[in-house]
Amino acid sequence: MLFSLFGWWYGAGWAGTVRSTRRRLASLASMFSIAILLRTLFSPWRRIITYPGAGIDAKLRAFGDNLVSRCVGFTVRIFVLLAAAVSLVFLSLIGLIELLAWPLAPILAAMLIAKGLLAL
Amino acid sequence: MNGFNLDAARARKARLGKVIGNPGYLGLLTSAAVFLLGGAWLVAMEHKYGYSLLGIGILLTMPAAWWRFELSDTPVRGGDLTDRLSNDCLIALKPGVTYTPARLWQGLQRNWQTNFITAHLFIDAGAIQGALSDDPAQLGIVLQEAQRIADNSSSITVGVGHIITALLRTSPAVGQLLSQFKLSTSDVDAVSAWLGRILDTGKQKTDNFGGIGRDWASGFTPRLNQFGHNVSANIERHGVRFRALVDSPGVHDMKAAFSQGTGAIALIGPDGIGKTSHAYALAQNVLAEAQDRMLEHRQIIALDASAIVSAAQRPGDLEYLLTSLLNEAVHAGNIMLFFDDAELFFQAGPGSMNATQILLPIVQARSVPLIFAMTPHDYEQLRASNMAFAGQLTPVVLKEQPEAETLTVVADAATNFETQHHIVITYQAIKAAYRLSGRYETDMGYPGKAIHLLEQSLTHAVNQVITEGSVEAAIEQTRGVKAGAAAPVEADQLLHLEDAIHERMINQKRAVEVVASALRRARAGVSNPNRPIGSFLFLGPTGVGKTELAKAIAATYFSNEAGMIRLDMSEYQQPTDVARILSDGKEEANSLLMQVRRQPFSVVLLDEIEKAHPNILNLLLQLLDEGQLTDTNGRSVSFKDAVVIATSNAGADSIRGHIEAGEQLEQFEQAFTDELINSGQFKPELLNRFDEIVLFRPLTPDELAQVVRLMLGGINQTLATQNISVELTEAAIAKIVAVGNDPRLGARPMRRALQKAVENTVAEKILRGEAKPGDHLTLDAADLPI
Repeated sequence: MLFSLFGWWYGAGWAGTVRSTRRRLASLASMFSIAILLRTLFSPWRRIITYPGAGIDAKLRAFGDNLVSRCVGFTVRIFVLLAAAVSLVFLSLIGLIELLAWPLAPILAAMLIAKGLLAL
Repeated sequence: MNGFNLDAARARKARLGKVIGNPGYLGLLTSAAVFLLGGAWLVAMEHKYGYSLLGIGILLTMPAAWWRFELSDTPVRGGDLTDRLSNDCLIALKPGVTYTPARLWQGLQRNWQTNFITAHLFIDAGAIQGALSDDPAQLGIVLQEAQRIADNSSSITVGVGHIITALLRTSPAVGQLLSQFKLSTSDVDAVSAWLGRILDTGKQKTDNFGGIGRDWASGFTPRLNQFGHNVSANIERHGVRFRALVDSPGVHDMKAAFSQGTGAIALIGPDGIGKTSHAYALAQNVLAEAQDRMLEHRQIIALDASAIVSAAQRPGDLEYLLTSLLNEAVHAGNIMLFFDDAELFFQAGPGSMNATQILLPIVQARSVPLIFAMTPHDYEQLRASNMAFAGQLTPVVLKEQPEAETLTVVADAATNFETQHHIVITYQAIKAAYRLSGRYETDMGYPGKAIHLLEQSLTHAVNQVITEGSVEAAIEQTRGVKAGAAAPVEADQLLHLEDAIHERMINQKRAVEVVASALRRARAGVSNPNRPIGSFLFLGPTGVGKTELAKAIAATYFSNEAGMIRLDMSEYQQPTDVARILSDGKEEANSLLMQVRRQPFSVVLLDEIEKAHPNILNLLLQLLDEGQLTDTNGRSVSFKDAVVIATSNAGADSIRGHIEAGEQLEQFEQAFTDELINSGQFKPELLNRFDEIVLFRPLTPDELAQVVRLMLGGINQTLATQNISVELTEAAIAKIVAVGNDPRLGARPMRRALQKAVENTVAEKILRGEAKPGDHLTLDAADLPI
């Protein structure tokens, strides 16, 4: 049983950490709608727009209003994209640590137990 | 060699996983957490045991992770059977046992998948085990079959369901047992596939519908949310619901039409075919899959016509509201509008509106995809009333799927009923729902009508199980027909039907015999189910019992003489009378078709058929051939549960002549039929379509005397309330027969003679005080005032 456990730990278990990190990253990217946000980065926020009137004043006012809506949209989206980027980096780091720490865990456990016992 | 190795590492891991189980896993995790936290605290306190506790905590995490990611469901990696067997199988089967088909069944018998299959096939697991082989050499065939079934269902794993299906399929003895339950191997396959779909649903991952920013480039829809319901949002919140339809031809046709630039679709199909489900499946398809620009991230909102109409208080409100809803959808940019029961938007009336003028510019501009669900009849009405609008719609016609696909949809619907009502619906019940709804629910399409019938059967569950009998009971209750097998009492009644009829019919043995035989054939399921139970042409003089026999059948077998549907065909002599027969009830509430629709299990008596207009006789050809007619509204009415009896006096003199010449009916039957055709009284194609042409002969004086005795029985029944009875001497009977016998009118004048002779005499005696309660009167010939 112990042999099987270590066989799995250094085989399928270790490889599984890579797969699970990849899956978590994809799920996070999807949750933050990264592709959609990049494609609609400069679109007006929730289509709150003013339709231009006939005169030049009305046209300028509509342009101004719509520019504000686009700025709001851009700001919200860029902040979400930044949050997504931070989360992705954080998750990647955790994944990397997990990948590196995984094979060391049994050795670390043995060392910690020995350290405690030797201190007796 | 079993074909699988239960001592292999994978099998041992599966058993270890079972031993640890979920409680063991939680125990390991909790202990690890306690050791890690305790160790950390002790290290912080600079206690000497802290590091050791941390190390033990890490060690405890390792088996917990092992159980979670491998032992709880040992991964399948293909290859040989041991590598493909599901965890359930590896746990249930014990190493060291020499497995045979019977032992394999026993080993897997407690698994829920085995229970699913046996419960849905309604078979006894013990009986199956008894029928399976105990020869280890047979196991290889079973396991090979199990792998083939798994391969066919694109499953890498060979599960309990696959093995159980293989055991049921490969044993000839089990095959014989199944046939006793009216099951075939294709039914076993269907239930196995049903189980497979349930397992797949459980494994399905949550779909990715776009994430938090999906709708930020689309407008708000507050009014649409108020006057409609967001189908897509419901699917997102409640998960996958229309799996079977998501890739159906109907959904593909709708997507293709929108992709080609159409602005509006007319989704056409009869009620029950699944128009709403198709629209919902489109919503799911659009949510889950990458689409072209026209459909990408679109959400389907179903508008509620009644909510819109009831919100309009003043004239013009309705137009304003609908316009604002459409504008909101156009502006939002990510909406598809679904008009369920679209006819409510095309015709002004209570709870409906004519919105075609408001919808037309939107449809023409193609600014928002619209789906209008309607029946073929409503689509034709729209085309007739507003071709300009109808012409803008791209029709997508939903057709009924083949039987196998329909049964799949019905079985999936049955799963929902099972979950909601905690019942089991057998596969035989599903097949019965398909078969019986096809026969009796002519107004609806599949699969809706089969699902509807299954729903009606819920109240007929026995011990929480819906069987074929439950479905038959439901259709018998709602339609008043006999759908199930004849119960012993009914079978006995059928076997002695002639005796029951002769209790109220004198002689005419041949006529009684052919009718009784037809009823027996139909009830035993031997006759053609797509024609009426029986169709007879009764020929003979007046007053010989033609109508009486029809009444006797209605009273004895159909249990209700008053329920007999009787049409005097002399009232249908004009060509326009065809419409009266076929009326859908609007003009003629009691048209033949409406009466049969209300009471399909009945005797239909068409009196004096020769007097009907030839166009009506042509209708009769279709009725006798196909067992159904179509009403003026396009709905078909089934005569498949009716006995159709047409009577005629045509050739009565000829029959009398033959009988007086001393011939028996059988001797001149054929010649007489030829006579009727040659004289042009009946067309040969009509006569050929009746199951039997039955000749009635004139009654002899002896038979007329028996008729008098029968009628006297009726009088005595009436007098029984006053506790008075009356008896006639033979001389009195002979006198009544002598007075009442008219060779041209048969037994008909007999009732008048009896009324005059007996009823009048008794009435006078009662009024004079000569007949009191408890008296028994005996009337002789001299007592009768005739």
